[in-house]
Amino acid sequence: MNALDKRPDALLQELVGYSQKLTHGVRNLMEVGEISTGVSPKSPVYGEDKLVLYHFDTPEKATLNKTPLLIVYALVNRPYMTDIQENRSTVKGLMDAGQDVYLIDWGYPDRADRFLTLDDYINGYIDRCVDVLCERHRVDKVNILGICQGGTMSLCYSALHPDKVNSLVTMVTPVDFQTPDNMLSHWVQQVDIDLVVDTLGNVPGEMLNWTFLNLKPYQLMGQKYLGLVDTLDDPEALKNFLRMEKWIFDSPDQAGETFRQFIKDFYQQNKLLKGGLQIGEHEVSLKNVTMPVLNIFAEQDHLVPPDASRAMRGKLGTKDYTELSFPGGHIGIYVSGKAQKTVPPAIGKWLNERN
Amino acid sequence: MTTNSWMDGWVNSQQDYWKAWADMAQRGMQMPEAQRNPWANGLTQWWQAMAPATPLDGRAVFDRLMGLSKGYFTMAEHMMGQGAGAGDNMALFNTTLEGLQKYWGDWLHNGGQWFGKDNQSKDMMAFWDLPMDTWNRMAANLMPMPGDFTQAFHPESGLSGNLREHTSRFLSIPAVGYSRESQEQFQRFAQLQMDYMAAAQAYQMAFGKVALESTRKFQDHIQQESRQGKTFASLREAYDAWVEFSEAAYANYVMTEEYQQLYGKLVNSLLAVKQHMARMVDQGLEAMHMPTHAEITTLQLRQQELRRENNRLRKAIKEIQEQIPGLRGENLKPAAKPAPARAAAKEAAPTAKSGRKS
Repeated sequence: MNALDKRPDALLQELVGYSQKLTHGVRNLMEVGEISTGVSPKSPVYGEDKLVLYHFDTPEKATLNKTPLLIVYALVNRPYMTDIQENRSTVKGLMDAGQDVYLIDWGYPDRADRFLTLDDYINGYIDRCVDVLCERHRVDKVNILGICQGGTMSLCYSALHPDKVNSLVTMVTPVDFQTPDNMLSHWVQQVDIDLVVDTLGNVPGEMLNWTFLNLKPYQLMGQKYLGLVDTLDDPEALKNFLRMEKWIFDSPDQAGETFRQFIKDFYQQNKLLKGGLQIGEHEVSLKNVTMPVLNIFAEQDHLVPPDASRAMRGKLGTKDYTELSFPGGHIGIYVSGKAQKTVPPAIGKWLNERN
Repeated sequence: MTTNSWMDGWVNSQQDYWKAWADMAQRGMQMPEAQRNPWANGLTQWWQAMAPATPLDGRAVFDRLMGLSKGYFTMAEHMMGQGAGAGDNMALFNTTLEGLQKYWGDWLHNGGQWFGKDNQSKDMMAFWDLPMDTWNRMAANLMPMPGDFTQAFHPESGLSGNLREHTSRFLSIPAVGYSRESQEQFQRFAQLQMDYMAAAQAYQMAFGKVALESTRKFQDHIQQESRQGKTFASLREAYDAWVEFSEAAYANYVMTEEYQQLYGKLVNSLLAVKQHMARMVDQGLEAMHMPTHAEITTLQLRQQELRRENNRLRKAIKEIQEQIPGLRGENLKPAAKPAPARAAAKEAAPTAKSGRKS
């Protein structure tokens, strides 16, 4: 009886082939050079503390949506994921679809930022960036594209400042933090978050990385690297792989107080959905989200399960609610070839129709 | 020797090695234990020589790739090493997987201790140790001490029995005298370390169970497939299927209440050690009249409160400033036109008069 349909000499060839690829890979690694990220030209237009608000340069003759689009990325990982390389750039796709794109780069919080709260981020930083855009463009409202945790923050902002948001797009954004398939939520229920934050101050990015890798440890810490061997002889593919690796492990520390509130109020108590969420002086009610909303989620998202995003349906105050389901994962929704062709054009079209 | 000739030499030596291996296997010869796994060890040495010449950006990736390749080739050597020339390679799979199950079974039975000397199997088992290995690296980074500070307590250290015994005895001594508080603090610190070690061990044991379970299921699966005439087309395909089974077993387990408790205890007990350590350091700093962590935390809190207040005031000032032109316009309007002002005075007069009347 056989389990493996190969004779020993063929197995030998497979192993020698593997070794050769590995060896050539090292050759390519030596010549790979610098790994660039964040490719589209952009200029800083506002700065405050570690935050930088960037405006992406648009072609002079481009016809643009008159309402600027502000991208609010998550606090975990870095926002250059949205513009990671020339042919994999959500930002570029949005500009091609006629959007005037701005992006908040939160920077890397250090220990002096430990007491930054969600109130500081939402009613402080985001609100001041929106004001900057309103002044620059002489408009009363902006469009917001919130990504992952940045989407949750954008929802809160839109609920607290509905008069400043023309349209809201959320991408892979959790609303129900306790769906039965949410691993992160399941794990964190017994963690003493007060102990974590009181002890560590800011929460190290490495700790978050460990948690994210543990969602699929054997694939993400093992199989993925063996799969790399198949593309090692292609310098461009190697460079792309290293670029993604750089992004995955480029995890800023989390400001302690923000982390405390995010885990306790959202993951442990699910207050955004159940009610009772207080940001600063005001309670966040999803019923106050009255502007048009486009909710985009990924069907194979292991980090934000689709149901966590779908939970938005029927909970908002808006009558103009649209869902867009993408057949891919949490990262693929920005970087896959299919996503490039479908997601940014769909966002652009939806926004233009509501300009 | 240039880098390229190094590499070419390496590839050639691998080819020779595998060819010799395959010849021996086809003749039904067994590799003596002492000579097993030389390729994996050679790979480590080769990479140690090459690594300094590679750019930093990609070195971590290749470090991981080399580690995994070592395990992968160990698996290959297992599969090819015991009579691979014979047609029945199902038997090889069974031998390998049963061997792994035996190791995991022994490991669990012995409370997480390795008694065997078979490094080859340990290389393969490192695959299931990935989550714990990554945790240990992360935990080490959170601590002021380099490396894994609980290493001396690990069961396989050989010292653990004595150390645990000594620690327990130390913890049982009642703190007395002038330095009572200090003694209590160290006792508490040691107790927290023991708690963390127990939590880490329980966590690792749980992964041992998952590994055992997934190996059993994987073996059942390939036997069933094999009976139906389905086979793996390559070693990589077998490896990928193995990963798939491991991931499925893991995904089921980590959504249980048991895992939730283990995870919570692992994180909380580590942080309790770290918190206690920070308090002890603070006391030392205070004795030396140096700023403590607690004091800096207070300053950071007050600074942020001030900044928040500052932002509120700025916003309020801006809103007031924006209202000034309008307010000034209203106030200046009468001043710029005296006549209406006078008229206003006239209008006011009757009121005054009427006031007086009343």
